[in-house]
Amino acid sequence: MSIRKVAAILTIAALTFGACSSSATSAPGGASGGCKVGVAWATFQEERYGLRDEPAIRAALAAGGATYIGNSALNKADIQTANVESLIAAGIKVLVLNSTDPKAMLPSVKKAVDAGIAVIAYDRELESAKALFMTHDNVEVGRMIAEAVTKAQPTGNYAIILGDKTQTNPVFLRTGMAKVLDPLIASGAIKIVGEQNTPNWAADAAQTEMEQMLTAANNDIQAVLSENDNMATGAVAALKAQGLELKVKIGAQDGDKAALNRVALGTQVVSVWKNSADLGTAAGKAALELCKNPDISKVTGAKAVKTSGGLDGYGVNLNPVPITQDNLQVVLDAKWITVAELCKDVKPASVKGCP
Amino acid sequence: MTEAKPLQANVTGGPTKRSARSVFAGLEIDGRLFGMIAALAILWVAFNFLSDGLFLSPRNLWNLSVQSAAVAIMTCGMVLIIVSRNIDLSIGSILVFVALIMGLMQTEWIPNTLGLGLNQPYTWIVVVVVGIAVGALIGALHGFLIAYIGIPSFIVTLGGLLIWRGAAFLLARGRTIAPLDTTFQLLGGGPSGSLGETLSWLIAGLAIVGLIYSLLASRRRRRRYGFPLRAVWADVALGTIGSVAVAGAVWVANSYPWPPALAAAYALEHNIPVPPGGLQIPTGIAIPVLIAIGIALGMTFLANRRRFGRYVYSIGGNPDAAELAGINTRWTIMKTFIAMGVLAAVAAAVTAARLNAATNGLGSGVELQVIAAAVIGGTSFSGGIGTIAGGVLGAVVMQSLSSGMVLIGVDTALQDIVLGLVLVAAVGLDTVLRRRRA
Repeated sequence: MSIRKVAAILTIAALTFGACSSSATSAPGGASGGCKVGVAWATFQEERYGLRDEPAIRAALAAGGATYIGNSALNKADIQTANVESLIAAGIKVLVLNSTDPKAMLPSVKKAVDAGIAVIAYDRELESAKALFMTHDNVEVGRMIAEAVTKAQPTGNYAIILGDKTQTNPVFLRTGMAKVLDPLIASGAIKIVGEQNTPNWAADAAQTEMEQMLTAANNDIQAVLSENDNMATGAVAALKAQGLELKVKIGAQDGDKAALNRVALGTQVVSVWKNSADLGTAAGKAALELCKNPDISKVTGAKAVKTSGGLDGYGVNLNPVPITQDNLQVVLDAKWITVAELCKDVKPASVKGCP
Repeated sequence: MTEAKPLQANVTGGPTKRSARSVFAGLEIDGRLFGMIAALAILWVAFNFLSDGLFLSPRNLWNLSVQSAAVAIMTCGMVLIIVSRNIDLSIGSILVFVALIMGLMQTEWIPNTLGLGLNQPYTWIVVVVVGIAVGALIGALHGFLIAYIGIPSFIVTLGGLLIWRGAAFLLARGRTIAPLDTTFQLLGGGPSGSLGETLSWLIAGLAIVGLIYSLLASRRRRRRYGFPLRAVWADVALGTIGSVAVAGAVWVANSYPWPPALAAAYALEHNIPVPPGGLQIPTGIAIPVLIAIGIALGMTFLANRRRFGRYVYSIGGNPDAAELAGINTRWTIMKTFIAMGVLAAVAAAVTAARLNAATNGLGSGVELQVIAAAVIGGTSFSGGIGTIAGGVLGAVVMQSLSSGMVLIGVDTALQDIVLGLVLVAAVGLDTVLRRRRA
C-alpha cells in the first residue's frame, strides 16, 4: 500500500467526516440568511476544545444569529487543508482556524482570503499578517508556570516536559519559562537535569519520559515544569510510583478538571488557567463583527502584534490566571468545575474552597 | 488436540537430520530468534555503557519491563493478524475507547449512576470483564466485515481508527477520567502492583518446573511416535539456559527495592521499625508484566498447538490452498480479529491503570508501534511467517531503544530517526538473510 494511497484514503475520510459534521451542525441556521462561520479545529484530543471552546463559540454565534460549521483534523495539516476547502465551499464568511501548523496552513489562509473570507487564528499561531491571532498570551502562561513552581521550590534540580515539537506553542511556553528560570540557573539556585519533547502531548508518553528522567537522576529531581495538564497527569503517575507525588513540585496549564483536583490535593502546585470559554466567546463575537466588516484591524480589542516570524499583524490577547491552592474559588465562581469534582478525595477543610 | 500432535512432531522433528552441522540445529532454536536476542544484548550493553551503568540497573530493567507490557500484549495478536495477510490499524482507537468505558464505569457509572460507591472490591473485575467484552465485540465486528463481507482489512480498520477514537471522544467529551479505582490501579504495576519477593520466586519455581516438564513430555511424545529425539546434551542445555534466564529475570526484579519514600510510608503504616539505610522491600515482577507473559504463553500455545493456530499459518501461507483444503478461512480470520480486540482491551486496562487516568489521547500511534514490533520480530507481510515470541522480543527492542534514548537524553527528533532506521534495517537484514538461506 503506497503512501499516496494512504494519503488519498485519509483525505477522503477527512472530507467525508468534514461533510458529515457540517451537515449535522448547520441545519437550523439557513432560514434567517445569517452569516456562516466555519471553524477548522486541529484536534479534540485535549479536554478543553470540545468541552469549553466549541460550546462557547457556538453560543456566541447563535446569540448573534450566525451559523456554526465545524470540523476537526486529527492534528494533521493535510487533513485540515481539505477541511478548510470544504468550509470555503460551504460558503462561509469568516474562518476560525485552530491551526495544526503555523506555516503548512498558509496556502489555506490565502485561499480563504482570496475568496473574501476573514480569518481568525484561534489559540494557535499562523505565520501570516492576514489572520487575527486570538489567544491567551502563551509566553505569559509559561512564565506563570515557572513563577509558581520556583516560588514553591526555589532551589534544586528541575525537569521540563515539553509539548509536541512540530508546534509553536511549546516554544512560546518555554520562552516564558526561561524568563523566570534563566536568572536562577545563572545564580546556581536551580539546574535543569532533563528536558524532553512529547509526541502529540500524550500523557502515556510523558509518563515514560518522567520515569526515565527520574531513573537517570536517581530521583534527585525537586520540581517539574510540564507544558500542559494532560502530560502532567502522566508525570504525576510516574512520581506517584516513586512515592514522590507530594514532594516534587509540578506545574502545568489548561485548567483540566483532573489537574485542578490535583492542585486541591497538593500533588500539583499550579495549573495556569486560560478560560478557554472566554476565548471561545471572544472569537465568536469577533467573528460576528467580521461578518459585517472583514477588516481584522477594526475588531474590538485588536492590537498590532508581531508574529514569531516577525510579520506585523493584529491580535487579541486574553490574560491567563494561575490557579493554586490559594485561589481555587476562582474556577468555582466561573462554574468551570463543580465542588465535588474539584475536591474529590481532598481531606475535609484542608484547603480553601473545599468544604 | 488429538489430530494436532502428529503435525507438531513433524514440524519440530524435521530439522534434526541436519543437526550435526551446528549446535543451533541440535538445540532446535530458531536462528532468527537467537539473532534477535543477541542484537538485544548488544543494544543493552551499548546503552549501559552510554548511560554510565544506569541502563542495566535493576530499576531501569524493571521500568523497561512495565513500559513494554502493553505493546507486547497487543503484538501477540498483531502477529497472527499479519501472518494471515491482514492488518489492524484500529487497535489504538479500540484501546482508548475501551479505556474510557472502563474509566467511566469505575468512576461514574458504578459509583454514581448505580449508587454503589467508589472503590468497591468487585469494581475492577466487573470493569475488566465489560472492557474485554467490548473489545471482543468491536473485534468481531471488524472481523465480520473483513472475512464475510470481504472489505479489505486495511480499509475496515482504518475506518475503525477514526470511528472508535471519535466514539471515545463522545463518551467523555474529552474529559480526563481520574483518579481510578484503587484495586484497578494495581493492573498497571508500580511497587504496590507487583508480586513482591516470595510470590515472584514462587512463579519462577513454577516456570522452571513447567519448562523441565515440557522438555520431558516432548521427549516422551517423540519416542512414542518414533521421531528422532533431541540429543540429551541439547535437552539439558535448553533446560539449564531456560531456568537460569527465568531465575535471573526474577532476581533482577527482586533486586529493585521499593522507592525509599514508599517504603518509609509503608513502614509507618504497618509499624515496622526502619533499619539504618532504610527499609528494603523487593519489588518483584510487576502485574502487567505477568499478564503479558501469560498472554504470550497462551497465544503461543494457541498458535502452535491448536487447530486455530495451524489454520492461521496455512491461510497466511496460501489462502486458496487453505480454502480448498476445507479450512473455514472466514471464521478463522474473524477469530484473529476477536483475539486482537480482546488483547487491545487488556492493553487498555494496563495502560489506563498505569497512568491512573483514562484520557482522550491514550494509545494514539500505538498501532504503528505494535506493527513495528511484530515486523522487527520477524513477522512477514507476505504472510505465513512469524512467531509470538519474536513479536514480544520486537516490542522489548522498540521500548529499549526509546526509553534508553530518553535515559541518555537524546533529542526527540533524533529518537524518531533512530527508531525508523532500526525498523528498516532489521527487516532488511532479515530479508537478505532469508533469501540467502533459501
